[in-house]
Formats: sequence, structure tokens, C-alpha cells
Amino acid sequence: MFGYTKVKLETSLVDRIRKIAEIAGYATAEEFITHALEKELAKLEDADSEDEVRKRLQGLGYIS
Amino acid sequence: MTASTARLRSALAVAAFGLLMAAPSPAEAYIGPGAGFALITSFAVMFTTIIVAMVSLLAWPFRTLIRVIRHRQKTTPLVKRLIVVGFDGQDPRLTERLMREGKLPNFKRLQEMGCFHRLRTSFPSVSPVAWSCFSTGTNPGRHNIFDFLDRDPRTYLPRLSSTHIGSVDRFLKIGSYRIPLAKPALRLLRKSKPFWTVLGENNVWSTILRVPITFPPDKFYGAQLSAMCVPDLLGTQGTFMLFTTRPAADKFKEGGKRCALAGGPDRYQATLEGPENMFRAGNPPLQLPLVVEADRKAGRAAVRIGEQEVVLTPGELSDWVTLSFRVAPGIKVSGICRLQITELDEHLSLYVTPLNIDAEKPAMPISHPSYYATYLAKKIGPYATLGLAEDTWALNEKVTDDATFLEQTYDIDAEREAMFFAALDRLRKGCLVTVFDATDRIQHMFWRYLEEDHPAARGIENPEHANAIEELYLHNDELVGKVLGRLRDGDVLMVLSDHGFESFRRGVNLNAWLLEHGYLKLKQGSDGSSEWLRDVDWSQTRAYAVGLTGMFLNLKEREAHGIVAPGEEAAALKAELIAKLNGLRDEEEDEVGINELFDAAAIYNGPYMGNAPDLLVGYNAGYRVSWDCASGMVAGPVFEDNVKAWSGDHCLDPRLVPGIFFCSHAIDEDDPGLIDIAPTALQLFGIQPARHMEGRRLFDGSKEKFARTRAA
Repeated sequence: MFGYTKVKLETSLVDRIRKIAEIAGYATAEEFITHALEKELAKLEDADSEDEVRKRLQGLGYIS
Repeated sequence: MTASTARLRSALAVAAFGLLMAAPSPAEAYIGPGAGFALITSFAVMFTTIIVAMVSLLAWPFRTLIRVIRHRQKTTPLVKRLIVVGFDGQDPRLTERLMREGKLPNFKRLQEMGCFHRLRTSFPSVSPVAWSCFSTGTNPGRHNIFDFLDRDPRTYLPRLSSTHIGSVDRFLKIGSYRIPLAKPALRLLRKSKPFWTVLGENNVWSTILRVPITFPPDKFYGAQLSAMCVPDLLGTQGTFMLFTTRPAADKFKEGGKRCALAGGPDRYQATLEGPENMFRAGNPPLQLPLVVEADRKAGRAAVRIGEQEVVLTPGELSDWVTLSFRVAPGIKVSGICRLQITELDEHLSLYVTPLNIDAEKPAMPISHPSYYATYLAKKIGPYATLGLAEDTWALNEKVTDDATFLEQTYDIDAEREAMFFAALDRLRKGCLVTVFDATDRIQHMFWRYLEEDHPAARGIENPEHANAIEELYLHNDELVGKVLGRLRDGDVLMVLSDHGFESFRRGVNLNAWLLEHGYLKLKQGSDGSSEWLRDVDWSQTRAYAVGLTGMFLNLKEREAHGIVAPGEEAAALKAELIAKLNGLRDEEEDEVGINELFDAAAIYNGPYMGNAPDLLVGYNAGYRVSWDCASGMVAGPVFEDNVKAWSGDHCLDPRLVPGIFFCSHAIDEDDPGLIDIAPTALQLFGIQPARHMEGRRLFDGSKEKFARTRAA
């Protein structure tokens, strides 16, 4: 309902994430964690259908 | 409007704002394109909203105190207010010429107060990319926006790069209705952290109006109205409708819906289809009856849609009309549109603009806080909410004409101006950013009149709106004058654009070139005329183009049917394509069509580089990706004339289309770039540079410079 859920992570893991996140160019450790999870989810989730694609792009002036 | 009426309206808006904070919102119904609506039950929303509002009100003094203590600034801000006015696409060469001619006195005044520079744009010079660089102070490898379009490597289909809107697949059946048990996922795909969020973490308020790539809206200490790519009520990027008695012909090439008007000669009827209704199996479209009663003798027609009625004369564009669709008992969704009778003689035709989400009762979250959109609607009246609100498709299809397009565009601009000044007048301290889109849209559609031999202007003698672009720049100058008149000591004003503009005379079908040179193969029996690369045989294709400037290698382990091995093979293929396409000539015109290809790995850095195209195409002035290539068609010539009204563009070599940067105070760095604005904004409020930002701070940090703002 409010958009976010809390997840507990080990402090040592979060420390490692913070160090790497800054070097890699993320704005926050949360962004790094979100990106890592989204990459994994993208392998498992279904792609949009062509109909959905057509509908969402209809009206975009740059392509037609 | 009289002063007393304005005061009353302001008071009502503030009262509405307060009531909205406390009052329960109507059931939040969310549009998903192809997904209809999802609904948290009305009672749950009402109950929760009341509780949240009450707790927020009671806790507000404590939260403010905590925020002040926690984010007590350790350095002193250099300014009280930072005001950024964005004129999307304003071109420096046109600006410089008109200033020399004395036609832009306020831009000139601003330059003399502070400075004017050309502003380096992003790679590529496409608005979603550029404004994301502006917002975050990072390159696309760090903010994840590389074009308007991305491709799904699982299917090769294109998708909007900036927003993901999901579907709902769990329902509760009640009689003939089905209640969605979740909202469709709605995600902003622009990553990193915009500067206004950092400002908010340091207790600096920001109002961010219609900055592209803010949908769904950010959550921060401030207010925001979303922009590109907020969909229309149908879930598209803007689908107009034409109700007509003309015989059914080919459907519009590009988009828009042609709907037959039945009946006549004085009374016609049809059905207007709205968004899909997910509360019903099969997602049937919501509908409203449409009736037109024509009085040809009097030269007018009464148009009734649902319960709304408007009387129009041919060519007259109506005010916003609110249409309300009944979704289920007790649940409605509303949108706004404008109407125009385009012909009323032998035939009758009625143009209906795309159905914009109604800001008073938004069916999607288009602002932060959620009630801010409604507050603006109460304050200034109904306004366009669609991301790309100006209906370029209808003009391209010749459903509307130049005059109608200009009227629509300037009306939207007036709405923007009203919300901008409403925010500016209320801002005592903090940041205000507002982007005006008219410059981009009018230059796209009227560039053809700047060149006598533009393919899109052939056969048009003495066009009535030949000076549309110059008039637009004069209009922008007037706005700058109004802003200068409201500046106070301690203000910094920046007027900038995300990129410039060039002619779009010739389209380049990169996929046709790749086919010709053996890098792309078609399925057996197909002719390459299908959209979205559907004719491509991926098992034999090594490279393909998607979007406005990107080319992808068909990589193993990345694309679903990749055949190019990462590493040496990919690097060699990139080098080969660069060598062959650099300086590609358009023999028919005896011109260079492509200046250079850029290796994304060489110009980007960051965690999202894996989503970038492998190669970026720097088209020469006059050239851009062709319409066919942009919609995924492979067949056809590599080069062809662009004959559409959309005749100017900026999706070419970024070095050719810098933007403008005016500032009330001289900067201390040369060659400013769009990427420098975010860190500079932080600097002006005394905030240490955010580590993820890559741009420079444009001032040397001395406080004395900002003590006075010389509004000469």
C-alpha cells in the first residue's frame, strides 16, 4: 500500500554493498540492491506481448 | 480575471489543498494500458487515507522539527532561490541570430546580467536522455535512460525506456464483475538520484514541474508534476480520434482512430471508446454515446458526449471537456479532451484530442504528493497531463492543420506558465524547475518552413505560419522578461535547453543498410515490411537497430537468440560497423548521412551499461533515423525524403545540437554541459557534491556574487 517493504540484511553484507555501490556509480546502496534483484527477476518474468507494446508506443511522435 | 476573482480562486485552491490532505481520496483506480484498472477497495483507501491524513497533520510539527535538526545544514546556502526555466529544444544558433537582430531583448538582458553559453547536451541528444542527465548529474550508464525506446532482449520488441507499467492477473469475481486484487506495477526506470531528492535530504524544498522522465513521480521533500511519458486514458502516448462521415478508407498510417459517424443529414451518432475495463472479463472498452446535431445553415454543430455538450463552429477548438466513464457501481474514471469540427459541409468530421488523465481526479499517480495534481487543477483549471501533450500525430496525418496545432500548443504553454508563476510566487526559499515543451514541438512541426526546398514543404506556397518558430522564440523572450521582473536578491535564474535543433530532411533506414550488407537476415518468405523487426531471422542476424539512435549486436547470452560471441568477436564486429558506417554517404543527395558511430563502451560508464545500445549513431545535419526504421521495418531504401510535417529534429550527432544556457550570474567554468547543472544546484544551496554525480560545479563558490541579483 505504501510502496515499500523492509527487508533485513546482515550488516556485513550491507557494508560490502555500500563500498561497491559507490565505486560502481550507484547513488545509494539501495539502488545497487534493487538493480541486482531486478536483473535476476528479468530472467524469470514474462515479456510484454506485441499488443501491449503497440498500445504503449502508440502516439509517440518520434517514431511515427 | 479580476484581482478579487484571482484571490478567491487562490483561496479555494489552498482550501482544496487542505481538504484533500484530510479528506479521503476517491477509490484509486489505476490505468494499465491493456490492463484497464486495478483497485484497492474504496473502503480500504478511504479508511487508510483518513488515518494517514490525521496522523500526518498531528505529526507535522514534530516531523518538521526532526527534519530541521537532522538535516541542519553544515554549510551556508549561497542563494535563497534557484529558478530553472527549461525551453525544451531551444536552439543556440537561432537564439544568437535573433538576439543580434534585437528581437530577444530579455534574453539579451539576462546575458548581460550574467552569462550565455552553448550547453553541451547528452549522448544521444534525445530529451529523455538529456533531461535525465540534467536531473541526476550523471551519464546514461548511471541513470539508465539511453533513448525513448529500449528493446526487450527476450523478444527484440521495443518498449518505452522510461516507465514500466505492468498488468494485473489476480481477480476476485463478484457476479459479472471481477475486482482486481492488486495494482499494476508502475515503475520509473530512470535510476540514480535526482538533485532535488538530494536537496530535500538537506531540507531544501523543490517544486519540479513537467521535467521529462518523472513518471511515476519521485518522492522527495517537495512537489512534482510528472511529464514525459505519462500516458493518456487509453494507456497510449496519445491517440486522437476522428469521427467522420467520410467513407472508410485506409486506417491512419501512424495512429489515431477513425470512427464512423452514422445517421445524417442533421443528426449523427457514434460511440466513443475509452479505456479498457478490467472489472469485466475480456476487458471491454468503456463507452460513451456520441451525438452530433449539425446545423449547416447556421454553420455550427452541437456535440454531445455522455452528459457533456459543446456547440462548435468549424475550426473552433473547444475548451477542455470532461468525460466520465462508469467503470463499476460507484466507480468512475474521468478524462479530459478537446473537440473540433474539422468539416461541416458535404461531410462532417469531428476531431477529438487524446483523452488526457483528468488532473482533478487522476486515475494514475501523476504528481507528488498525489494530491498536487488536483491542487494545480483547482488553482489554474484543467490542464494537459499527457506526457507528449501536443498532438503531432494528428497534424502529421493532416487531420488537423497548422493553426489548430499551434493553438493547442500555445494553450498548453499557457497552462504551464500559469502553474510556473503560481509556484514561483509561493516560493520563498528553495528550488523551482519548470520545463516548457512548446519550443520542441513547434520546431519539430514547423522547421519545414525555414528551408525553401525542404521535402516536407514542397508544394506549399506562402504558408500562413512560415514564421511560427521565430514567433515562438519571441514568445519565450516575453516569458523570460516576466521572470526577470519577479527576481529578488538572493535568486539565481537559469534558462536552458536540453539540446538544439536541426533540419530533418532525409530518413536513414539503418536496418535496410544492415540487410543490404549481410548483417541482418529476413525470415524466408518475408519482405521486411512488418513492424517491430518481426520479419528478422535472428539466427542469422548479427546487428540490428532499435530506437532513434541505437544499434545493438545480437549478442549470445544477452539477446534471446544471440549469435555474436561477447569479447573479441563482438569487438571486431563493432569495429567493422564503425569503419563502414562512419561517413556513410547519401549518394542521391551527395551528402554525408552519418558522421560517426560511437562505441557506447567508450563514452558511458556505470552499472547500467549493459542496457545501452552497443553503438550510437551520430547522424549528420539534415538526417535522422527514418520513420520506417524507427517502427522496426526493414524493407525499403536506406535513404529517403522526409515529407511529414515533423520536419525538424535533434536525434543526430549531439555535437551539432547543443542547447542554450543563460544565467543571471556569470559562471566560472568554460564549456558548461547539461550534466553540470545538478551538482551546481547542490553547490548553490551549500551542499557537498553528491558522490554519484559526474558533472562540475559551475561557480567558484564565493558568496558575494549571489548577494545581489541585478535585474537590470
